[in-house]
Amino acid sequence: MPVTLEQSEDSSVIRLEGSIDIASAAELKKLFIQAFASGHEVRVELDGATDLDVTAVQLLWAARREAKVMGVEIALTGQAPEQVGSSLRQAGFQELVATMNGSQVSGVDSCQQ
Amino acid sequence: MSAVDQMDQFKNSYQEEAREILVELESALLALNETPGDMELVGRVFRALHTIKGSGAMFGFDELAAFTHKLENAFDEVRNGRLTITPELIDLTLAALDQIRAMLEEGNGAPAADAAVCAQILAKVKQLVGIASGQPADGTDAAPVVSPADSSGQEREWHIRFSPGPETMRNGANPLLLLRELGQLGGLAVKASMEAVPPLRELDPERCYVSWELVLATAAGQDAIRDVFIFVEDTCELIIESASTPTENATPASRASQPTSADAADVAAKALEEKRTPAGGRRTYDKPDNATSLRVPAAKLDQYVDLVGELVTVQAHLSELATRRDDPEVTAVSEEIERLTSLLRDNSMNIRMLPIRATFEKFRRLVHDLARELDKDVELTIEGAETELDKTVVDQLSEPLMHLIRNSMDHGIESAAVRAERGKRPAAEIHLSARHEGGSVLIAVSDDGGGIDKAAVLSRAIERGLVAAGSHLTESEIFGLLFQPGFSTAKQVTDISGRGVGMDVVRKSIENLRGTVDVTSKPGEGTTVTLRLPLTLAIIDGLLVSVADAYFVLPVGSVLECIELSRKDIEKANGKHLVDVRGELIPYIRLREQFNIRTELPEIEQIMIVETGTGCYGFVVDQVLGDHQTVIKNLGRFYRHVQEVSGATILGNGMVALILDVERLAKDAVRAGAKAVLGRSATNTLNPSAQKKKFTTQNAV
Repeated sequence: MPVTLEQSEDSSVIRLEGSIDIASAAELKKLFIQAFASGHEVRVELDGATDLDVTAVQLLWAARREAKVMGVEIALTGQAPEQVGSSLRQAGFQELVATMNGSQVSGVDSCQQ
Repeated sequence: MSAVDQMDQFKNSYQEEAREILVELESALLALNETPGDMELVGRVFRALHTIKGSGAMFGFDELAAFTHKLENAFDEVRNGRLTITPELIDLTLAALDQIRAMLEEGNGAPAADAAVCAQILAKVKQLVGIASGQPADGTDAAPVVSPADSSGQEREWHIRFSPGPETMRNGANPLLLLRELGQLGGLAVKASMEAVPPLRELDPERCYVSWELVLATAAGQDAIRDVFIFVEDTCELIIESASTPTENATPASRASQPTSADAADVAAKALEEKRTPAGGRRTYDKPDNATSLRVPAAKLDQYVDLVGELVTVQAHLSELATRRDDPEVTAVSEEIERLTSLLRDNSMNIRMLPIRATFEKFRRLVHDLARELDKDVELTIEGAETELDKTVVDQLSEPLMHLIRNSMDHGIESAAVRAERGKRPAAEIHLSARHEGGSVLIAVSDDGGGIDKAAVLSRAIERGLVAAGSHLTESEIFGLLFQPGFSTAKQVTDISGRGVGMDVVRKSIENLRGTVDVTSKPGEGTTVTLRLPLTLAIIDGLLVSVADAYFVLPVGSVLECIELSRKDIEKANGKHLVDVRGELIPYIRLREQFNIRTELPEIEQIMIVETGTGCYGFVVDQVLGDHQTVIKNLGRFYRHVQEVSGATILGNGMVALILDVERLAKDAVRAGAKAVLGRSATNTLNPSAQKKKFTTQNAV
């Protein structure tokens, strides 16, 4: 499965691997909802992701907004391959790219694209 | 569903779509032949080729895609003003289209595309393009231009707003790839707008909520930009505007790679914002008219109609039961079901109605090709193409219409020299028209040719032994001879027609559709063949009648009134089958005699006065039982030769009722009358095989 959720006592980690596209979108949404239900910090591991499409970006964006509403921390962690960043920049998601690569995001301050 | 199945499904829907595009392409090409300067038509041709190529490559039709690509290039040259439309280019493209069609249908049992012909077409197209680029019309650089640049060659800035439709992702399109492709045209600044993304829980994960504001600096023209979005154009909101006059020193390429490029897109966003509808662009997808069209395989529709037919039969059974039980509750339910079934039936019939446009438009190509072959100048005009007919009728109409058009082109329309001699317009006209008339649709094929030579038809018929020498036939009888098997007045058999099978086939196919054929012709002015067809074939509103214990159904649309026939009336008429209706004498047919039913006559019989193509006729029955939603079932093969009934239906009580072909019965009656007259003047009859058939209902189905 390209998207998986690991939950521990104090955090939830959603791991993205390979191409994250429409085929895994429904699953990713489900995992985000599960992760937020625990009320713990949510980390999204991008290490293994090779490609994110529009549906994945929308979900990340909506998840960050959700985090702010719920007062939960969310962070994009791991070093996504450069091609992911460049393709997202090309598509106009510069600010999302800026928050990648480990920078912790508290709520939604920087996602007002 | 396995991946292979899914791919097959995609392939099928591509084929289906491509077939439609080919039809559109053909009509655009033929229109272009008339108005070679129409750039909108050139655009239509180009886009059609582009779509066939693009989707073809996507679904594994590689050969087709490669072939189409080369044609597309030629039309790109036309679009850019470097190549002009000539009849030769149109003919080549039409020929190419046939090959594309063959490639598309490969594996469906159709003849395969001919590689040699393909190569020949491409070589000729290449030659045309080559000649054109050697002599550029506008005198600019003649070197082949690879990039789809604007003819000005100067860079300008374009503001683009792109909002993919909600189904974009589900349809397999990827907006990010489109943006990448757009980036290849020049410097691109991109800003994604996330404002439409709903809260996580409400988000449909497979829908695209993002829209983009783009600023593109490119030398490419608006068409080239639009082409990037060609596959999603129908379902997305796309605004492309030129933001500046051509500039020499714009350097957006450097801007695009930097995050600050979003500023440029911001400005564009504001500019475009003003152009947007107040309700917001994306709302447009939620309009019902965008979501109400579905593509459904015809077979599923047939199945649906069959099921509705079964339901109607069962409902009739239920009504019958309810009447017998006499339980008010059951009766109420039964009535409600009857109402719903009736609505469902109308609805299902409605779904099957198709405009005749596609069938008509198809003949433009036939007329174009035949005109060239026969060296005649012929225009096809079309009227009433929006007229709707049952799908089955539309499907089976192509062949008879083709025969009629071929006949008109070959025999009807005179050669250019003869037309000039007769002082007619050099361009002959074939007119196809369709219109509703009562429960029927009238389809007419007219030409302004020489008309039918009645004397020639008659002498030919005598020569063939179809009528006796010295017979005097009326005009309509003479025209009727044209539809006899093996009849042709053509002096020589051509490839196009004249084998004498065409008109016979026409009459057969139209009669199979429960329709009739009528010919009118004026010497020197032209001929019109009119086909009268029923609106629907599967279920009709019938009037149920009985004779002794046999049931019959008459189409309710043709019944004018119902009157009583007493024994006294019969006696008064001195054995003649005529009844006086308000001073008018109307002949009647006794079903009892027609079908050889030998039971005792009731005191009072009923005459159904029915309107037919040959005038009003009465049909005498014992009892009129009432309206009946009639699901038409075909009779078994054994009863194929029975002409007087067009089918049968199963009644609520399980009995079989025969559906009367009133047209046929009336015609037979006329013929029987004519036979008596002819019998006195000649030994031959018009149709020796038309003999009265005895038939009982008990063993029909």
